[in-house]
Amino acid sequence: MRLFPVFSICGTALLAASLANTCTSQSAPRMPGELAWTIAYDPKTFDPAKVDDQESERVRYLTAGVLLRFNRSTQKVEPRLAESWSLSQDGKTIVFKLRAGLQFSDGSSLTSRDAVWSIRRVLLPATGAPAAEEFVTPAGVTVETPDATTVVVRLPQRVVGIGKVFDEIAIEPAERPSEGRVTSGPFVVADYRRSQYVRLRPNSHFAGRDAAGNPLPYASGVRLDVLENAEQKVRLFERGEYDLIDNIPPDYFELLKRRSPSSVQDLGPSLNTEQIWFNQAPGAPIPAWEKSWFESRAFRVAVSQAIHRADLARIAYQGHATPAYSFISPANGEWYNRQISAPHTDVAAAKAGLASAGFHLNGAVLEDSAGHPVKFSILTNASNAARLKMATLIQQDLAALGMQVNVVPLDFPALIERLMHTQDYEACLLGLENVDPDPNAMMNIWLSNSPNHQWNPSEKTPATEWEAEIDREMNRQATSLKESERKQAADRVQQIVADQQPFIYLVYPNVLFALSPRLKGVEPAVLEPALVWNVESLRIEGSR
Amino acid sequence: MKLNRPAAWLLIALILAAGVVTAMPGASYSHQDRESTLAGASTQHPAGTDALGRDRLVRVSAALLLSLAGALAASIVTTAAAAGVGTLAAFGPSSFGWTAMLVCDAFLALPWLFLLMMIRSALPLTTSPASSAAITFLVLAALGWPACARAVYRGTLSLKDSEWLLYARAEGLRRGQIVRSVIPNLIPLLVPQFLICVPAFVIAEANLGALGLGIGEPLPSWGGMLLELDNSAMLIETGWVYFPVALLVVILLLLEAATVEA
Repeated sequence: MRLFPVFSICGTALLAASLANTCTSQSAPRMPGELAWTIAYDPKTFDPAKVDDQESERVRYLTAGVLLRFNRSTQKVEPRLAESWSLSQDGKTIVFKLRAGLQFSDGSSLTSRDAVWSIRRVLLPATGAPAAEEFVTPAGVTVETPDATTVVVRLPQRVVGIGKVFDEIAIEPAERPSEGRVTSGPFVVADYRRSQYVRLRPNSHFAGRDAAGNPLPYASGVRLDVLENAEQKVRLFERGEYDLIDNIPPDYFELLKRRSPSSVQDLGPSLNTEQIWFNQAPGAPIPAWEKSWFESRAFRVAVSQAIHRADLARIAYQGHATPAYSFISPANGEWYNRQISAPHTDVAAAKAGLASAGFHLNGAVLEDSAGHPVKFSILTNASNAARLKMATLIQQDLAALGMQVNVVPLDFPALIERLMHTQDYEACLLGLENVDPDPNAMMNIWLSNSPNHQWNPSEKTPATEWEAEIDREMNRQATSLKESERKQAADRVQQIVADQQPFIYLVYPNVLFALSPRLKGVEPAVLEPALVWNVESLRIEGSR
Repeated sequence: MKLNRPAAWLLIALILAAGVVTAMPGASYSHQDRESTLAGASTQHPAGTDALGRDRLVRVSAALLLSLAGALAASIVTTAAAAGVGTLAAFGPSSFGWTAMLVCDAFLALPWLFLLMMIRSALPLTTSPASSAAITFLVLAALGWPACARAVYRGTLSLKDSEWLLYARAEGLRRGQIVRSVIPNLIPLLVPQFLICVPAFVIAEANLGALGLGIGEPLPSWGGMLLELDNSAMLIETGWVYFPVALLVVILLLLEAATVEA
């Protein structure tokens, strides 16, 4: 009797998938004193100027020597390669004084010439450095070096939080960019195997010293394994292969908590948000009547009121999330608007709001004034179990209003293709990671002409009056010299977003991580890289 | 060819039981009891609930009915298509038979899994869960016929050379009449082909679902429920997560046993 092709083909595929799940990682043996953890995918580049994705950024953070470092714990800018720095009264001139006797990892000396070359390289349009955008007008910036230890940067206009920008500019040997092989930071890229690991070795010429004057870093190296599967990560962490897991999914957090309660920690709400939004792009290939629902404030508010956020946090995140009503998290104490009034869960109010906007129930099905049944799909990325659960919970929440919702899990590239290029989608559920607590870092989300203005990208002129007001307020916070005025503007934007619900915020996932008890020196912070921001001071117990 | 009695009866009993469970008042495969998620067995939920608080017994029963109904329908389509292609190829000009079998071989050699994935992901986003289920089985049916057609072709060729057919031709029966009298004689060949298809389609759907390409939420499917097993954090919560896979194995064994040739 012959087996059917369906049977055998699919059987093989499933077998292959399960094999991939059970076989252990292809990691190299661990060296004594080496730190090890995972990254989700291969870094796209090791060139510190071209970093645009999260994993490349992590490698840069561990390897790059910078003039200033934004301390993830105190949230203050500290001098690093610079001994001191000063900002002129008008905010347009920055003067760095370099420390004496600096060296690159290959032993060559580091002077202001290298610093100027590195900053200019970031500013050059040909480099395509994402950090250049943070100077607002990179073309007008001039960099000079009056002597071997002084660097002067002149800006055509004041830039909010300019100090933090230098946290992203790696100082490399002039004319010799090395893709992380020669650095002035704590580590140097030693070895990279595609889709296996990135191995870093310590920079023996690193300038950092601990309080007792001992050279840093303590660790004899870092191994970053490329591994996305949480199941495998947890298993290898339990076997002692990894020292930490950051952003651990809530179900695995609970699993580890049950087995070794001391290895896991919940730091409370992160700066990140999970949200759902409707496609309001005029060019989107969806029916006109659907666009008119999505453009209706009453419709969006009703959806927001129908969603039981507490259930999302409790069921999809097993309690390790906090209901969200704004794009700024309460973890961001300085900028969070405590006076915000946002639509809370109220199904009766949602029904009333829909009725007054011309929607009516036909049996159990909600219809608009022209009789079109309210039916749409929510996209989300298939690999995120919590999002898939939230979408299915929302599906039932919205069914209570008579809306028929399809949950469509897509793989990430297919999702991005729809969001950014074809705009062929109705609603989307995704998260946003915030690395910087300052609202200025979210300019690219809120300005109506930005391609990342997700619900209606790259508007030529603001489509609505409230979007125009967001533009004005965001520009006000970016240019104002008074902190109180900046806060006022940011508060106003939070209130407009709460009133209009272009993004319907769902939860702030909590900061969850697991730490091996052998790893010493960790000071967890809410900001990325939350566990290893002080990587030079981390060490494995019992090794020096 | 006989039905293996005890296995067949057990299978029918299971299907009836699933029917009763899903038809019970208050039973819903999509209702989320948000106060008891991932619960163990209780009087309210005899087989516990899943991660979203949906009754596992109702979901498993509905998945059983859905996948069996889908697999049966897909098998009928496949077998009918195979019978058509196989007999036409056998009775047509020899060059036609040769070409038809070449097409079958080419069909068998195609990377079906990827094609299937492409078809599923190309469906419009608004495809409702029910139509996504129908399309999944239709695609499986479209995929299953060539192997079956080859078997039918071979069987028909040997019938063509049989003595009674020679008599029939000698007595002047026309080709159409001959084909009509051949088809009943193909039944002993078609029935096992049909019966093999059913479990093959059930498991193919489960595989597709486990890859996230099967039937959409909130409709239950074997594959979707098997996905829960991918997560060891879920496994320690309740032993009932093994229930769907256990039942699937039982169903497949029963289907197999019930159709074993006597």
